[in-house]
Amino acid sequence: MSTLQKEVEGCLHCGSCVEVCPVEKVGGHAIVTFLADPDATDYSVWLCTSCWRCQEVCPVGVDIHGLMMKQRRAVNLQAPAGYQAAFESVLACGLALEVPQEELDQVRAAWELEPTKLPPPGLARTLLRGGA
Amino acid sequence: MELATRNSRFAFYPGCLVLQRMPEYETSTRAVLRALGVELEIVQQAACCGSPIVESFSANWVYLAAYNLALVERMGHSTVVTVCGGCTNTLTRAAHALQDSEVLAEANRRLEPLGLSVTGQVEVKHLVRLLAEREEEVRAQIVRPLSLRVALTNPCQVFRPGDVMGYDDPMEPQSLRRLVELTGAQVVEYGGENECCGATLYLAEPDLALAAGRRKLEATQGADLLLHGCGNCQLLLRRFQRMIIRDERGLRKSALLLPQLVGLAMGLPPETLGVNGRLARDVLGSG
Repeated sequence: MSTLQKEVEGCLHCGSCVEVCPVEKVGGHAIVTFLADPDATDYSVWLCTSCWRCQEVCPVGVDIHGLMMKQRRAVNLQAPAGYQAAFESVLACGLALEVPQEELDQVRAAWELEPTKLPPPGLARTLLRGGA
Repeated sequence: MELATRNSRFAFYPGCLVLQRMPEYETSTRAVLRALGVELEIVQQAACCGSPIVESFSANWVYLAAYNLALVERMGHSTVVTVCGGCTNTLTRAAHALQDSEVLAEANRRLEPLGLSVTGQVEVKHLVRLLAEREEEVRAQIVRPLSLRVALTNPCQVFRPGDVMGYDDPMEPQSLRRLVELTGAQVVEYGGENECCGATLYLAEPDLALAAGRRKLEATQGADLLLHGCGNCQLLLRRFQRMIIRDERGLRKSALLLPQLVGLAMGLPPETLGVNGRLARDVLGSG
């Protein structure tokens, strides 16, 4: 039995989660594919939009989002480039997209919005340290 | 008179996307709220909320979220206004997590070197909720009633998980629809109101995100306008629309953010809402 199978022991494999998953509706297979059928291998824990519909309809209250995030953090899982880049940006500058202070100042001035300071460099690394 | 008794100044957390790529969402939010007597003060030095990006890599995401809540507390505010679903959800889940004394103590250990502390007693309030709570004030400000057909997408993470967000019906929320109807616009039912736009998929598999966007555009052909209450929906369905429809012009659809639509109906100048003149004329001309 895989680690994931042990974690979802209460799951009834009823497939309610698959019914409401927006990823399944466009032909993708998210973690709900596994929940409906524990023998399924054709799914990715990275294909989830965090819309939380599956968790809302689960009759036994499986923490699907939490399980999926745990799986994403498992060291042997390669993150898609988009996620990797966004995370590295958070580590580097604290935000999911890198933007120089000067550029931000210009945009906000053009839109007559109050000036805003970016977070201190290295912030995310300090706050996230330790633990996988 | 009721307005005077309300706390009319709140902290504002735009989140990465709106801060860096969508100033029209912030400016239209501020314009509409100002007309209602509410001022927003931006959270200086705010960082990424923490999910889903950080949570996908680090179990300590809650401490990054706690940092943002600590900044709000330092400002002396007890409410922070958000405009995207993701930030609303993440900061709310973090505030809940901080009710655990061990999580709270660890958050404060990590924040102490930054000269910050957190209690987690901040209320995170999405714009939809803030406006819905002021329904009567909004109604009183509508001077240019609209008469167009609007297809809305409810911002998923504002309402789910229901046991944490604790607001509206988690699977069939009504507050956004009611706000749109206040403008006079007709909300068309297309079956996808409660279906996620799919924007987050863009980080993992862009083609699937575009397919999700296409599904929505095809389903909303009976509407004049798409209406969003989250920067991610607007990003996928408006900014990426050309990638979705390529040269199929028949699928083209205008899209506005909630405060842009409400602001137009309030008679606010389109330029303060970040709405171009032609679209504003289309929206208002129908009224």
